[in-house]
Amino acid sequence: MSIEVRNLEAGYALKPILRDVSMRIEEGKICALLGRNGSGKTTLLRCLNALITPTQGQVYLRGQDIARLSRVEIARMVSVVPQSTSAPFNYPCLEVVLMGEAARLNLWSAPGEAARQRAKGVFKQIGIEHLLDHDYNGISGGEQQLVLLARALFQDTPYMLLDEPNSHLDFSNQHHMMSLMRQLAKQHGITMLITLHDPNLAVYYCDEIVLMQQGRLVCQGPTLEVLTDFNLCAIYGNNIQTDHTSRGMQVVVPKAIVMGAVEQTLVC
Amino acid sequence: MKKKALLLTLTFPVVCILIAICAGRYAISPLEMVQILLIKIGLGGGMVPPSPEAQSVFWQIRLPRIVLAFTVGSALAVSGAVFQALFRNPLASPDLLGVTAGASFGAVLALMFFPPLSLAVKFSSFLFGVAAVFCVHVLAVKSRDRSTAVLILGGIIVSAVFQAGVSILKYLTNTYDMLAQIVFWLMGSFQTATWDSVWSVFLVTMIGTALIAAFSWRLNIMSQDDEQALSLGVDVVKWRIIYIAITTLMVAISVSACGVVGWIGLVVPHIARSLVGSEHRRLIFTSALLGASLMLLMDTLARSLFSSEIPISIVTSLLGAPFLGYLVLRQRKEWLGK
Repeated sequence: MSIEVRNLEAGYALKPILRDVSMRIEEGKICALLGRNGSGKTTLLRCLNALITPTQGQVYLRGQDIARLSRVEIARMVSVVPQSTSAPFNYPCLEVVLMGEAARLNLWSAPGEAARQRAKGVFKQIGIEHLLDHDYNGISGGEQQLVLLARALFQDTPYMLLDEPNSHLDFSNQHHMMSLMRQLAKQHGITMLITLHDPNLAVYYCDEIVLMQQGRLVCQGPTLEVLTDFNLCAIYGNNIQTDHTSRGMQVVVPKAIVMGAVEQTLVC
Repeated sequence: MKKKALLLTLTFPVVCILIAICAGRYAISPLEMVQILLIKIGLGGGMVPPSPEAQSVFWQIRLPRIVLAFTVGSALAVSGAVFQALFRNPLASPDLLGVTAGASFGAVLALMFFPPLSLAVKFSSFLFGVAAVFCVHVLAVKSRDRSTAVLILGGIIVSAVFQAGVSILKYLTNTYDMLAQIVFWLMGSFQTATWDSVWSVFLVTMIGTALIAAFSWRLNIMSQDDEQALSLGVDVVKWRIIYIAITTLMVAISVSACGVVGWIGLVVPHIARSLVGSEHRRLIFTSALLGASLMLLMDTLARSLFSSEIPISIVTSLLGAPFLGYLVLRQRKEWLGK
């Protein structure tokens, strides 16, 4: 029972992005996908959701080859939290979340009262009941991200893919989002794969890390084992290192800071 | 607020039908109308029957025309709402993929050889309208691009070719009489409505509208970007073809029956959206009734405003375009775009 990727090669047009990626994520784990821009994180997520067809290799969800599954069957297993963007048409947040019901409905059906009640329950669980009747385009980026998380949760799938869920959020909301996500994942036993820019968020909230560079998988394993100075240097370059806070938490920080307050305190 | 909107959408069509029955160059009073209906169902005993002319105008001229305008209006408005969702663009209209251009070409081609009211003109118009969209579909499949951009581009290309075809045919006509016929057909009119010609349009548009209404909730998802729709379990490419096929049949048969009628498909969904919001189950229902009513009202104006009839597309453009302008000024930007 896992997400398994075997010798995956994929890309757009004639430009290969992913090369020979193999990995396995066990059920119930929260796994961060780290790498620089253009390293293939988003492409890998797209492959896991069969949005693009790999040129080589397979993706297995619970032992089933994803290439043989229909869209509905995939949507019953994998939900996606995309980056929040405003849509051309403005729906009430409840309608946005109800879209998560599509994979369970007949072609001609629409969500009924029972689905509505369940959706409201999800709003409550995430703590955003006040947004129920708000227009999606009228709420803040952070709130939109929470509504999209609610939709993925309402889709009720064993796997959830999150594509930079923090990109539009302020510092406090980033941590709110991540801790909420971790809590929900553990509560519902959802396996999550999250692309992140900030390795520190991975340290705090994720069980495992997959490091990617130029379309290749560099390293996969438990968070603290993967985030070593050696690996960080390989991925992000020579100016990043691990350190510990006064409370003993591991953090990832820059090595040398050329300007600003930190340098001044060092000089003093 | 929502109840008010629902009440308005339900009563407005009734009012429009009553106006359309009574107004016109041969005026029928509401009392006469009731009498005519009572006579038809055999309850007219004891009253002075309205003149036979009034009865014949009511049954043979006005009613088929009303049915035609009503169904065409609802078909165009529903198709407009569907296209705006599919292409995620509030400015999309049902002729985006070339159905109108194709149907125009088909009609003009047939007009060269057949009289204007013949079945051949309608059939050729319908056929070319559907063929134009099919060309766009083939182009999109061959390009292997699954986005909507290639469909829009294909629509522009096919429209341009068929419009050029119309121009060529106009240029080739050797009598001014025929040219006038072509020009008049292209401007659209419900004048030619008879029961014989109405039933096919009625059947196709009603089945089409019922299907779209049945699938209307999915339009909410189709109006999200493709990746979101796919991950929610909706096969966007397949569903796009289904929606486009249904609306194309509806629009093609509408255009073949009454010529080109602009603006209804673009403006009515906007009015509906300002009344009931973007949620498509409500939007499709409201667009259908509102489109039907407004088309009926405009046709009533077209036939009764002046002593001779005005082509319907002139009325819809003259009223529709400024109304869109009014909506742009009045409403927040939200439902017009970002």
